[in-house]
Amino acid sequence: MMTPLRFQELYERDWAELQSLLDALSTVTLTSGPRDGASGARAAALYRQACEHLALARARSYPAYIIDHLEDLTSRAHQLIYQQREFGLGRLRRLINIDFPCAVREHRAYVAVAAATFLLPTLLVGLLVYSRPEMILSVVDSDTASEFEQMYSPAAGSIGRTREARTDWTMFGYYIRNNVGVAFQCFAGGLFAGLGTLFFLAYNGAFGGALAGYLTGRGLSSTFYSFIATHSAFELTAIVLAGAAGLRMGHALLSPGRLTRRQSLVQASRESMVLIYGVTAMLLVAAGVEAFWSSATWIAPTVKYGVAAVCWLAVLGYFTLQGRHAG
Amino acid sequence: MSKPERVAARRHVLDTVAASETPEGILLELRPAGLGARYYAFMVDWLIRLAAINAFAMIAPFLGGIGVAFWLILIFVLEWLYPVAFELSAAGATPGKRAFGLKVVMDNGLPMTAAASMTRNLLRVADFLPFAFGFGVVSILTRSDSKRLGDLAAGTLVVHVRRADLRIAIEEAPSLMPARPLAPEDQAALVALAARAPRLTPARLDELAALAAVVSGDDGQAGPTVTRRVLGVAQWVLGRR
Repeated sequence: MMTPLRFQELYERDWAELQSLLDALSTVTLTSGPRDGASGARAAALYRQACEHLALARARSYPAYIIDHLEDLTSRAHQLIYQQREFGLGRLRRLINIDFPCAVREHRAYVAVAAATFLLPTLLVGLLVYSRPEMILSVVDSDTASEFEQMYSPAAGSIGRTREARTDWTMFGYYIRNNVGVAFQCFAGGLFAGLGTLFFLAYNGAFGGALAGYLTGRGLSSTFYSFIATHSAFELTAIVLAGAAGLRMGHALLSPGRLTRRQSLVQASRESMVLIYGVTAMLLVAAGVEAFWSSATWIAPTVKYGVAAVCWLAVLGYFTLQGRHAG
Repeated sequence: MSKPERVAARRHVLDTVAASETPEGILLELRPAGLGARYYAFMVDWLIRLAAINAFAMIAPFLGGIGVAFWLILIFVLEWLYPVAFELSAAGATPGKRAFGLKVVMDNGLPMTAAASMTRNLLRVADFLPFAFGFGVVSILTRSDSKRLGDLAAGTLVVHVRRADLRIAIEEAPSLMPARPLAPEDQAALVALAARAPRLTPARLDELAALAAVVSGDDGQAGPTVTRRVLGVAQWVLGRR
């Protein structure tokens, strides 16, 4: 008759072998193969056997220590056997060449809504502040307004630099921290049925519009627009794309279709994460351009506008054409 | 509801176990971590990050503008990518979580994917609202699987890592054949009692054994002798005959 002790006696050796195989296989690094010729096939076979044993032990109410031991073994083996590794250089190349631009096209409806939510407040508030400059004071206080003026004055040593920052490098760090933070906020706001995303997009759009309207009204348009023209190709599109990812998530919550709301949310956030990878990369590029190219006073505005046009065309071309035939 | 089902259901309410079924058809039990453990883990991580930022702030001035840039980038990386990097490592947890025996896994118990880790950590912002992680705390407290909003969207769980306590000493006693046939649940209860025996006081052990005295034919009696006989039946059930 099979008793717990007999059961343990019979299969203890297999369990110990599985345990040592798991130890050997989980220390495999990227460079070296499995240690001591540990065999994945053998581990998989022993794992299936351990699963059977666990089911038997549970059904027969064997003592807790046997069940615990088998649960521990099977869950470790399960993790090792079914894990997904989705990073590496090949994956990165595919992300840049195919996945990111394709994801942008797939989400074009969300991108359009996000762009409209961002641009309409920009234009409206921009025109409003341009026609009535004192309106800027309802957005920022007078100190900040005068600091803006100083930042974008033609006499500034480096355009767009805040008073505390001493070098372009400092601004580079500042842009990374600040802009990527804004983009991530736009995305995360999607979790509140998309309302957070809409708010952050409209808010950032309105703020940018107010700044542009004010500085244009003060006659600083040549420094200001030559400053933002180039990096905005990456920065503004990235913010809009982060918003699109957030809206996708909000829409998935509101209208889950045939899935449960939770399944729909998990699926949407998994798929829109490709956009966020791309957004992060674009904002790093934007921070570099903004800190070292846009801010340079020794480059003539016409050159900046030329480069800006090339950048905008490249970004738009990348999103519309790249990876179309890859499937 | 039949009796074993009811017992199982009650146990699940008590233990907050999240089960995931493997392709082999067995249920893996995951034990979601509650607010307390996660709060302490977060505080440890927060202190580590604070220490790193302050340590760099001390040497940054000597590097000039680049120093400040690196400092700001460090803040950005620690703010957003610190948990991602650790969750994707072999340990599957930040140092704070590891200190409290926690780990982040996918809903089905598998190691984290990059997309899931990014999702749950970027959505930390949403958990933080309206202030002091309000939504996150409410979500953790009200859900039986203790997920915050980021976990919901990413399909991840923060679980207690199983402590490998694999050998429980079973109280030795001379084997004794049961006085009557035993149902599987009775057998399991006897073995469980024998396994708990070393951790009980002798008086409490006698009390519990008296409840089961019917198995050794000592119905209605109690005392150390009866206890030895009941534990003897447990040995018999285990297979020592």
